Amino acid sequence: MSPERKIDLAWLMLVLLSVGGAGIARSDANAVLVAVGVSLVMAIKLRLVCNYFLELHEAHPRIRRAVLAFCHGMPILVILTTAFGDTLSSLTGALLG
Amino acid sequence: MTLAVPLPPTVPAPAPGPLPAQPGAGRIPGSKAMWVGIFCEITEFALLFAVFFVARAHHPEAFQAGPERLSLLAGTGYTLMLLTSGWCVARALHAMRRGDKRATVRWMLAGFVFGLGYPAIKVFELQRNFALGLDGSAGVFIVSYYYLTFTHLVHVFWGLLGMMWVIVRTGLGAYTPEEHSGLEAFACYWHITDMIWLMIFPLFYLLG
Repeated sequence: MSPERKIDLAWLMLVLLSVGGAGIARSDANAVLVAVGVSLVMAIKLRLVCNYFLELHEAHPRIRRAVLAFCHGMPILVILTTAFGDTLSSLTGALLG
Repeated sequence: MTLAVPLPPTVPAPAPGPLPAQPGAGRIPGSKAMWVGIFCEITEFALLFAVFFVARAHHPEAFQAGPERLSLLAGTGYTLMLLTSGWCVARALHAMRRGDKRATVRWMLAGFVFGLGYPAIKVFELQRNFALGLDGSAGVFIVSYYYLTFTHLVHVFWGLLGMMWVIVRTGLGAYTPEEHSGLEAFACYWHITDMIWLMIFPLFYLLG
């Protein structure tokens, strides 16, 4: 498959995931489950952009690691802050006074 | 008394000149300067996201009800415009690599048109929001929404200006299949700005 065809397919996947992700969020499931679903879709979309648009696999390892840490860190933070919002609130409340 | 252990004669002497590239060593796409800017952008948004998470932890009810107050159609529209614009820019880069400058300009122009869709939708969404009373006094969710999305809008404007510059330079023949680091640097910036939107979109329009 040509690189251009891979980019086209990645774009199509991104569009489908964007529309599908909205459907997950509007479901009546538990808040943490919704956060996991939405975060998973977010992570897949970010990885598709990294691999096929940004061509991160060709980049210097430091650039690759930093960008991937940002991309993987964000969905994880979404889940953690949804599941442990009370803890974060009490911790930051104590810090902020 | 010291014992000198001679090297076996089969060990080759190091070759003169630059060392060969290590497998997986990678390269800096575009330019170092652009990546300094990109990491500044990532740091800026990482701080804004931290503020978002703290605000959300302190006001869970406001953030849970927040997405219902925003237009999901507009949020999905921004996402599709930016993704399609990023796709066009990626195709432009590949067209340049195979030496097709006309196709590069066409893909870049298409990317610019889709990129303009973002501020165009923003105008309609703002009119809708203000008509519904969603201004700076509409609560912590809406304030968080405005500070993050307006900061992102500023980055999109910079990207659109950069895209105009790259289109002109491509049209003037400034880039070649061998040397098009300016085009590649812009593409990196645009894709990172796109990725940041892919993080903002679910936070405000889906999860709250």
